[in-house]
Amino acid sequence: MASLLIKNARIASEDNDDLLQADVLVEKGVITSIENDIDAKAGLQVIDGSGKILSPAMFDTHIHMREPGQEAKETIKTGTEAAINGGVTGVVLMPNTSPAIDSAAMVRTIYEIAQRDSRIPVYTSGCITKGREGKELAGIDGMLQLGVKMLTDDGDAVPDMMLLKRAMEYAGEFDCFFASHCEVLELSGPRALNEGKVSYKLGIQGTPACSEEICMDRDIRLAHATGARLHIQHVSSKIGMETIRWWKQMGAKVTAEVSPHHLLFNEEHIGNYDTHYKMNPPLRTEEDNAALLEGLKDGVFDIIATDHAPHTPFEKQQDFINAPNGITGLETAVVSLFHHYIDKGEFSWSLLVNRYSAEPRRMMGLEPVAIAVGGKADFILFDPEGETTFSSDFMRSKGENTPFLDQTLNGSIDLVVVGEDILLQR
Amino acid sequence: MTRKDLLDIESLRREEIEHLLDQAAPFKELFTRSVKKVPALKGKSVLTLFYEPSTRTLSSFEVAAKRLSADVTTFDVPQSSVVKGESVRDTIATLQAMRTDYIIVRNQMAGIPLAIARATKASVINAGDGAHAHPTQALLDGFTFKEVFPKPAGKKLLVVGDILHSRVARSTSTLMRKLGVEVAWLGPGSLVPKHGPSEIRKFTDYDEAMKWSPDAIYLLRIQMERQSAPFFPSLREYTKLYGVTQERFKRIADQGTYIMHPGPVNRGVELCDDVMDYQRCLIDQQVENGIAARMAVLYWLKPNTSHNELPAEQ
Repeated sequence: MASLLIKNARIASEDNDDLLQADVLVEKGVITSIENDIDAKAGLQVIDGSGKILSPAMFDTHIHMREPGQEAKETIKTGTEAAINGGVTGVVLMPNTSPAIDSAAMVRTIYEIAQRDSRIPVYTSGCITKGREGKELAGIDGMLQLGVKMLTDDGDAVPDMMLLKRAMEYAGEFDCFFASHCEVLELSGPRALNEGKVSYKLGIQGTPACSEEICMDRDIRLAHATGARLHIQHVSSKIGMETIRWWKQMGAKVTAEVSPHHLLFNEEHIGNYDTHYKMNPPLRTEEDNAALLEGLKDGVFDIIATDHAPHTPFEKQQDFINAPNGITGLETAVVSLFHHYIDKGEFSWSLLVNRYSAEPRRMMGLEPVAIAVGGKADFILFDPEGETTFSSDFMRSKGENTPFLDQTLNGSIDLVVVGEDILLQR
Repeated sequence: MTRKDLLDIESLRREEIEHLLDQAAPFKELFTRSVKKVPALKGKSVLTLFYEPSTRTLSSFEVAAKRLSADVTTFDVPQSSVVKGESVRDTIATLQAMRTDYIIVRNQMAGIPLAIARATKASVINAGDGAHAHPTQALLDGFTFKEVFPKPAGKKLLVVGDILHSRVARSTSTLMRKLGVEVAWLGPGSLVPKHGPSEIRKFTDYDEAMKWSPDAIYLLRIQMERQSAPFFPSLREYTKLYGVTQERFKRIADQGTYIMHPGPVNRGVELCDDVMDYQRCLIDQQVENGIAARMAVLYWLKPNTSHNELPAEQ
């Protein structure tokens, strides 16, 4: 790419609610000037950003790319292209592949595939226990040596409390943190569905929110007792949110994430067994939606993460009980959060930048990618007047298992730039 | 006013329910004649697909279909193992190729009949799916209830037992509510769903429930085998707290309260032997009405199989 000049865009940052209009000059992948009226010299590629928002690109710490093992659902290639399509320029993979990412060898394999197939940086988490079986500790040091920062058995909790405590005592001393999928299996139904009005109506045993809340509290207590750093994944309930708020006030070293789907949807959306609303933890109630939004605004939730979980159309077309858990999220997160919240004045771009770009990078030990002179170009240009239709053709993910399928929402990601490369231009 | 499928009671309008109950009456009259058959579904094919063991419901559907002159086939499917969704879908493809007109399906998993209905042109009748729905049972219950209470609105029905796992309790309660019947549930706290409709009263004490003075009591079959974490300590304790024991039966008979049960009954558990000879015990009537109600359903549904797929004229 030659030098790039973006004219008249309004610049978003995590610490300023106002969008400041300016021209931004990028040379050799670095932002060299942010001023009004930069001259469009010869040789510059000029993009008109009038009316558009120039925002730091997003970073998603909760991604299932299914490779190796389930490449029919997604690969690192299609998954990272989906990320770019959604304005996300860095991802952290979950280790529930087949085989699981539980050793240095598996981490190396992921890096090799990413090196070959991905246009954006790919980070991976590593298992706490071998094969995610909850029995023996995984090869933790080997993975940390290769840069793994997050240890998780995501998809499952570690059921054995002593094993989890030992893991925290052992690895809590290293430069890493734990991430918990919270669920007490004994309290869970056979399938991901909230216990409530809808589980009654559908005739399927539900999973009560306390299944998640008890495990969450358990894991935070263990982390607090051992001194380990802990991150709580995909919180779905009001009491879960309040549990984290309380522990933060107690000074626990805990962070937490909320997903767009737990903010936007609840059990009523399942209607007549619609598997596009089936994920674990399950969608809960409207009251929980409101509490989660409050938690996001208050900072109880440090980050937004999608839990992007692609499946094949065949799998999701099965009946509700047999269909697998999870929906995709990488391509829909920014636009859906803009459409439902930012466009309606519910929260600002600065909150989105903080929770979905800056904080996730900090959590992973990376520098945030602010739009500032001297910084590397890593941004998106977003058109608030545009719109996006999430058609099959639009989506780069192999998974089409999203409630947004074929919906048209306000806002459009028109440009994604990382360093010297324009990764996407619409 | 027609439908392709009958999957639950929830989605039926009150007029549709009343239409079906009205239709069942003339079919029942047929049973007293020497020839019990009408040619209504002559040339149509009915396939039964039961993934869960059943003798009563399966036979009832078979008799109903045969009395309408349909050809009935039983599709043998594995009943013991939990059947995976994949194989159900493959089965649907096979059924589609057989060009059957009606599929009657029972499955231990909620939502399977809906999945089949969406994938086939045949009419699908849900003969029970998991703890979700059993609409023909509800219709035969409504029909039976109306025979003793021609104006059901304002009457009271008490459903007793394992409501939580019971598709019968769900569908029958919903249907009765749609007919204006007041419905209450009685059972152990662990088996009476907390999240059921708010207009259904929930009792956990037998005497309290009887003070509500129901016009009919609907007993459910009680089973112990459900899960590793038991829902109640023992059948003995259940019977003591909720069973229609001899002593309780006397009071029921004195008040002239009707008794219903979807069958098969556990004598000595949810009810004592004497109930079976009680004049106002409607259990046998329910069985007979099941055939009439199912005939009405088969007669009412309209499959999408009849008027297409002819080769275009050259």
